Amino acid sequence: MKFASILKQSFKAIMSNKGRTFLTILGIVIGIGAVIGLMSLGNGVRESISEQIDTLGTTNLRVTSIPGVNSSMPENFTDRRNGSIEQPTNYPMGGLSQSLTQEDLKAIEGISKDVVSYSAGYVANQVEFVAKDRSQIASLLGVSPDYFVLNSFSLESGEYVNSESGNEIVLGSELASNLFVEEDPIGKEIEVHNTAFIVKGILGEESESNISNPNLQAYISDTKAFELFGTEYYSGITVQASSEDTVDEAKEKIEEALLKSHEIEDASLADFSVTSSEDLLSMVDTIMTMLTSFLTGIASISLLVGGIGIMNIMLVSVTERTREIGLRKALGAKTSDILIQFLTESVVLTLIGGIFGILAGYLIGTGVGRWLDIDAVVTIDSIILAVGISSLLGIVFGIYPAKRAARLNPIDALRYE
Amino acid sequence: MFKNIIELKNINKVYKAVGGDTKALKNVDLNIKEGEFLAIMGPSGSGKSTMMNILGLLDTPTSGTYILNNRDVSKFNEKELAKVRNKEIGFVFQQFNLLPRTTVLDNVLLPTVYGDIPDPKGKAESLIEMVGLKKWGSHKSNELSGGQVQRVAIARALMMDPSIILADEPTGNLDTKRSINIMKLFQEINKKGSTIVLITHETYLAKYASRIIHLRDGNIIKEEMNK
Repeated sequence: MKFASILKQSFKAIMSNKGRTFLTILGIVIGIGAVIGLMSLGNGVRESISEQIDTLGTTNLRVTSIPGVNSSMPENFTDRRNGSIEQPTNYPMGGLSQSLTQEDLKAIEGISKDVVSYSAGYVANQVEFVAKDRSQIASLLGVSPDYFVLNSFSLESGEYVNSESGNEIVLGSELASNLFVEEDPIGKEIEVHNTAFIVKGILGEESESNISNPNLQAYISDTKAFELFGTEYYSGITVQASSEDTVDEAKEKIEEALLKSHEIEDASLADFSVTSSEDLLSMVDTIMTMLTSFLTGIASISLLVGGIGIMNIMLVSVTERTREIGLRKALGAKTSDILIQFLTESVVLTLIGGIFGILAGYLIGTGVGRWLDIDAVVTIDSIILAVGISSLLGIVFGIYPAKRAARLNPIDALRYE
Repeated sequence: MFKNIIELKNINKVYKAVGGDTKALKNVDLNIKEGEFLAIMGPSGSGKSTMMNILGLLDTPTSGTYILNNRDVSKFNEKELAKVRNKEIGFVFQQFNLLPRTTVLDNVLLPTVYGDIPDPKGKAESLIEMVGLKKWGSHKSNELSGGQVQRVAIARALMMDPSIILADEPTGNLDTKRSINIMKLFQEINKKGSTIVLITHETYLAKYASRIIHLRDGNIIKEEMNK
């Protein structure tokens, strides 16, 4: 039996009952569409997170406290000023309990310049900034002097703050323009928690990420921030390795230095963690892979249901066409010819479903992606997977009806009413 | 000339059933010569359908030998039987002869899906012309009248140049006039050299055959020759 004529017959049989074919295929379209859509969204989220991690700098390492490892909660953590001070909000990243001090920063700064070029500590808090006639709630960061150069910030005007700055403040570009309209903020006064600060510098426009927006932040010296927030701990320390090749060495050296300054001997009890962009990437990758496979697994259930629909309709088709099968056998069709014919039919059905499913998945992915602000990525892999799965569905769910058809006795089939 | 194309020797067919076995054919011997137009007659239950199924290799005898073109086909397996059905037997059934929603041409071409012949399309077209349906080649089977359907079936039966054409009550659904026209077509084909076996219970149709055998209760009870 020639393959071209098998295909031709399959299409004819499928097209002879368009309504039924459409409904049967719909099950597969939905299943494949859901799988492709979810996979593309998963890939999109993964890529956008990766990009954001890249904006943090591939040579940057983040040192944060590990919550709960060590009970080094500061005594003055609460109520130092009758509750008028909020607790540090661990922003952008940090633990609940704090362990990173200025001593630690000094220890890290002591590492050879061949390995670590810059390191900077920061402590962050959401506060209300009150200018002459405007106010805004935004992040206030107390930073050590190298923070600006480490993050490659630029100055629009004025100067950066340093450890000796006291009540001086640097504003992000957006925050500056929000607080001061049509006047030069430099030298003007801003109040934060009833403490007056003089604007010393305005940052240029910096690139923002979902993790933080430096344009909507203000910066004071770390010592002043400790005093203002009533803490002596950094939310985190950012360290820049001298190059991508020294990232791992830098990580080791930092861990060594901090274990020493925290007087911890067993590295597994460390109350801090040092994370490189690569660590973050692989972590995100693991989480996203898990999440995507989980969701895809759930979506596959609809594929199973679609497959059962195919089997059902193929069984109906075999019964309806019993006499056709008898006729074909009388005219010389072998059992295998009938088997192949019906199997081809179910595979053609599921493949058509698969192709439209890929299309549906792409639409779902881009549609939901636009809504969630994610660029959905339909990969060749997922298309191959979808085509493979849909043909497999056709075979798996078509084999039983096809066998039933092939086994029919020609006499009984011809006599079938 | 006149060599035996079919030899049935001592054919028995028993249908097993819970209520007792049914002997549909009992020790039947029958030779069919090349170029013959044989009619098999008998009332229902006489064994004509069983005879037709065994001759057409749709069923195998319980015992006995069936020689078709000097080959013992009674021991063939399913695959070999399918091939013989395709190449050597042309069927014309009483009903459901054609694939629905399929053109006349594709219906006539159907046997070539399962076996090769040179220029199938050209041959199909000339056969369609021969049965008088030249203008109908691209029409769907459901647009045809009963008589036209049987003509298409006859054209299809001739497609593979079979050793024998088996027609099982081919005019069972047709009126007398159309039935006679079909018989005339069979006669015409027979004159061109095809061997035809016609199963019928109508005496006026059997008269078109060159030889008539009568079956009753699984036995051949009478044999008559037409001039």
